[in-house]
Amino acid sequence: MNNALVLLSEGASVIDRLQGLGDAKKQLADPDYWSSVGIIALTGILVVFLILAILIFMFWLLGAIFKAVDRSKNAKAEENARQNAEAVAKPAVESVSAVEEDYSNDEELVAVISAAIAAYTEQSFTVKSIRKHNPRTRSAWSTAGISENTRPF
Amino acid sequence: MEIFTDTLTGLIDTSGLMGMGWQNAVMILLSFVLFYLAIVKQYEPLLMLPIAFGMLLTNLPLTGLYHPELWDPATNPYFAPQYLDSGLVDGSTPIFMSVFTQETSLDYGRVLHDGGLLDMLYLGVKLQIYPPLIFLGIGAMTDFGPLIANPKSFLLGAAAQGGIFFTFFGACLLNMTGIADFTLKEAASIAIIGGADGPTAIYLTSKLAPQLLGSIAVAAYSYMALVPVIQPPIMRLLTTKNERAVRMGQLREVSKLEKVVFPIAVTVIVSLIVPSAAPLVGILMFGNLMKESGVCDRLVKTATNELMNIITIFLGITVGATAVAENFLSWKTIFIIVLGLVAFCIGTACGVLLGKLMYLISGKKINPLIGSAGVSAVPMAARVSQKEGQKTDPSNFLLMHAMGPNVAGVIGSAVAAGVLLSILG
Repeated sequence: MNNALVLLSEGASVIDRLQGLGDAKKQLADPDYWSSVGIIALTGILVVFLILAILIFMFWLLGAIFKAVDRSKNAKAEENARQNAEAVAKPAVESVSAVEEDYSNDEELVAVISAAIAAYTEQSFTVKSIRKHNPRTRSAWSTAGISENTRPF
Repeated sequence: MEIFTDTLTGLIDTSGLMGMGWQNAVMILLSFVLFYLAIVKQYEPLLMLPIAFGMLLTNLPLTGLYHPELWDPATNPYFAPQYLDSGLVDGSTPIFMSVFTQETSLDYGRVLHDGGLLDMLYLGVKLQIYPPLIFLGIGAMTDFGPLIANPKSFLLGAAAQGGIFFTFFGACLLNMTGIADFTLKEAASIAIIGGADGPTAIYLTSKLAPQLLGSIAVAAYSYMALVPVIQPPIMRLLTTKNERAVRMGQLREVSKLEKVVFPIAVTVIVSLIVPSAAPLVGILMFGNLMKESGVCDRLVKTATNELMNIITIFLGITVGATAVAENFLSWKTIFIIVLGLVAFCIGTACGVLLGKLMYLISGKKINPLIGSAGVSAVPMAARVSQKEGQKTDPSNFLLMHAMGPNVAGVIGSAVAAGVLLSILG
């Protein structure tokens, strides 16, 4: 570490001396020209990487902390929601005869989707299953929607 | 009658036509070319048009709008008056000594006394006021969310700065061949074109090599406008079809707290390590904090609209005005234009190559196309990544993923400028 510092400060003084020459031709004629050019280019790229690496580490850490905080918050929120949903879901469930797949236990979701369909169709219906749409395959409509929204960029 | 002819000849003698040399004529024609590029081709017209007009005004003889001799320490030196210590210590009036020491700085008093309109406005460039204020507006417009969601993007933003340092080396090599002679300061100013960031390039050049300001600004803004032409061939050359088709997972949502912490943390870290980057990075982050905090809406509106527009006009016209014939009409300008292009290409290539490396390491989860967005031309470079991705797979959306390296590139090039400034300034 100490050696590196000495080397750096020596490099700095050489660069200062080169700068003092002023003229490009004189700078080029100096025996230390190429080593200083190398030092400048190398320190430049290294410092840029170093700073950005520190920032990566910091925000990765921060992200991890926030995720953990979010998770514990979500867990609490879910519990609250479940208790609320039990009260709200009962009238809505009447029209739901059979619910399959993973989401059958999520009463809040069932209630919300049933209510949305009821509001939209305005007639009696039966929810047979609720399955998650595979996000990897986008419909033509959603593709069109996204390109519409991203066009200004 | 005699009075009339005298008046007439007097008028002719003071008219611009008498002071017109061929160099002025060439420069005026060049400004017409820039008008064409700005108005018809729409190459960054918001800056190119003011630059072109500044160039026109400054090269029309005898207008007195801009005086290059006022901005050269050799012709306008500052003599620091020396005071005797004893006179100051006992509180009496200082004794003025007859000896003056010559400084390398300019006599700003004479600029204020003798300067024209553009000289006054140029003070904002010379004293490094405009570029940070532009960064204030950029910060207030930028969403660092994609970068916070995927901090790895910082690496791509750093890699794309490779073009700067390669070109610095290249300019020195050109020196060795003897066809050009660039001092270290000039080489660094040319290299910063590879950062693809206009305000940063102007900031560094106005400190290190003000005589090259006109040509470097024109080169930087031209290449930024040409990003959609320069980048795609390099991107296609360095990637395979499979790599370009990679779809990247949805970015996680970023909380408001993270967005507020980000500008503060970046300012502290960057300013502690490279203090000379603080005027750019600090003000950029200040603008961003105003936006993300959500409590300064009125200030954000001013910073992103009126203030930024005013500064853009002042910056453009004065940078154009520095392109006087004796500075601009030299072989150096040609080399600057060539080296600037090299810097841009290498920067793009470095970004894409690190993108490839990350593609391999991440297990094919990262699309290397987003690497080219690490050069900071925002948001053009990110748009290019998006377009290239869609050419391979029309339903692939890389835009938000490319915005991460793109905004990281802004920070990266400002840091690179700070490093060069602290070593060479």
